[in-house]
Amino acid sequence: MYWLEKDQVVKLTGKLARDYALFGPRRDEVSGQVIFDRLDEPGRLDLQAAIPYNPPKFVLFPHYEEILKYRYQKQTRKVTIEKIDKLQPKALVGLRSCDLTGILCLDRFFLGQEFVDEFYLEHRKKLFLISSTCVRPFPQCFCVCTDSGPAAREGFDLDLTFTGEGYLVLVGSKKGQKLVEELQLKTAGPEAAALRKKMVDESVSSFDSFALENKAWISRATNRLTTGFVKPEVWEYIGHQCFECGACSFVCPTCSCFNVEDVNDNDGHTDRVRTWDSCSFEGYTRMAGDHNPRKPVEDRRNKRFFCKLSYSQSKKYLRPGCVGCGRCARVCPGDIGLPNVVTYIRREVTGE
Amino acid sequence: MENKLVPIITVPEAATVTEIRDEIDEVKTFFFTFDRPEIEEAFRIRSGQFIMGTVFGAGEFAVSLPFSPESDRKHISVRRVGKVTAALHELQPGDKIGIRGPFGNGFPFEEIKGKNMVYVAGGIGLIPLRSSIVHVLQHRQEFGRVILVYGARSSKDLMYKESIRDWKATSGFETYFTIDRPEPGWNGEVGFVNQLVARIDLPVENTVAFVCGPPVMFNSVIKELKIKGIKEQNIYSTLERHMKCGIGKCQHCAIGRTLVCVDGPVYTYKQIKTLGEQI
Repeated sequence: MYWLEKDQVVKLTGKLARDYALFGPRRDEVSGQVIFDRLDEPGRLDLQAAIPYNPPKFVLFPHYEEILKYRYQKQTRKVTIEKIDKLQPKALVGLRSCDLTGILCLDRFFLGQEFVDEFYLEHRKKLFLISSTCVRPFPQCFCVCTDSGPAAREGFDLDLTFTGEGYLVLVGSKKGQKLVEELQLKTAGPEAAALRKKMVDESVSSFDSFALENKAWISRATNRLTTGFVKPEVWEYIGHQCFECGACSFVCPTCSCFNVEDVNDNDGHTDRVRTWDSCSFEGYTRMAGDHNPRKPVEDRRNKRFFCKLSYSQSKKYLRPGCVGCGRCARVCPGDIGLPNVVTYIRREVTGE
Repeated sequence: MENKLVPIITVPEAATVTEIRDEIDEVKTFFFTFDRPEIEEAFRIRSGQFIMGTVFGAGEFAVSLPFSPESDRKHISVRRVGKVTAALHELQPGDKIGIRGPFGNGFPFEEIKGKNMVYVAGGIGLIPLRSSIVHVLQHRQEFGRVILVYGARSSKDLMYKESIRDWKATSGFETYFTIDRPEPGWNGEVGFVNQLVARIDLPVENTVAFVCGPPVMFNSVIKELKIKGIKEQNIYSTLERHMKCGIGKCQHCAIGRTLVCVDGPVYTYKQIKTLGEQI
């Protein structure tokens, strides 16, 4: 393990910014909101800020992404199609372990199946990931229930733990090792590993006093979902509370459904774009000719929870699809974020 | 028997529409050849697979492949039903389309060799079954009885009349046709296809059934086949869903834990039942 002085963070980000586009949490000056964002100035990185309202998935899986460009000349019947090359090295600094776990889920889903998603792969190829231990949880957090925090265990190039004085730096890859050497970081003392463990343990224990908004006994819900023991009334109750806004999908670190559309430019080109989509929308499964196999809202709404808690096996996540960040619970106007739904399933709440 | 399949995954390959045929009302058949000879040469499919077609300037559509994996002209048959298929119907011979694929699992011919084949189709549900029928007739001696039970709203709505005429000339191909309401000049059966299935003599042992048609027809036909004693794992169907990517990523075509584009579109009724969703 290595040691990074507080004032060396600027050096670290400055160095990364030379080779990578820099992303990380920053505090918005006007709203005070913490946003995981592109950082044009490395100095705007705020490693002490709260959990960002948005997950970092947009870096690898943008909201709106042009994937192909083509031109078809009707008169000459000439067609040219080009794939858009967008390989840009990116560094994500200050990833919370829930969000890092989300990226690992997306990796396994997009890259680890029969087909590899070429566009995701392009984004993923040159990525530098620096995670950051949550030494104290936030009110919305429940990563201890989903086995995805409060500290990262895998998938990072470097991992930071803030001790109050500075950062303990854990190296997770050769790339990370190289950067540590270039920055000439001091080796942390022999007590460093024990100190990190103590801080993580204390963070886990403090969930009872700080992370009070959400709890989710996921394994029980997974069991009930997988064995098909959730009554239709429970889904109807949950479905009736859904506003069909899609916000839960958009703030979820692992939601990755997308739509594809061809958008005609004024200059005769067409862009094939892919955009985020959500299984809560009625149009999601509606076919041409208006047949919709999932028309009632409860038929659609339950799919998100099946997807997160029961289908993770077929998605190759190697873990539940929920990473315990609590964002869906924060944004849901109908109060059916994942933790609440897990509770409804456990208690079979049907409306009392 | 299978050739190695390397689908076109991301960037559509340009193809030229060589001929367009009016099939039935609102349904046209588009014959095509790939512009690049090496793709034309290498493009192989399995019966039951589908492609993602691009109408340039309008978008992509998923469509099943009606042609046989061997010695058959490449074509698709498409009903004008939405924005993209309406644009497709406007095309003229010589126009270009884009093709990605083929995708999906296809019918498991290795497992069903030697069995009796019962095809039950409703309306344009014959399109996805056509490939399999042609394939089976091309290898007629490898299968038992081969039966087609085909129903449509009216005689004008029966697809592939020319192909059916050719198939009937093949020895040992039994056909039954029905239309919903009586028509002058129609000497065949009248009524829904499930009623016809109930009436006719179908083999049960060593038999696989293929069912494709609108959801109502699908459910009622399955019921009749089960009454006859055909087992759920021997009833195959090919399902249709809203699709965007074809490679298991966009997830629009999810049915339960499966994705129609990679785990389907061919499912047994036994599988369909466990997925917990409407058809």
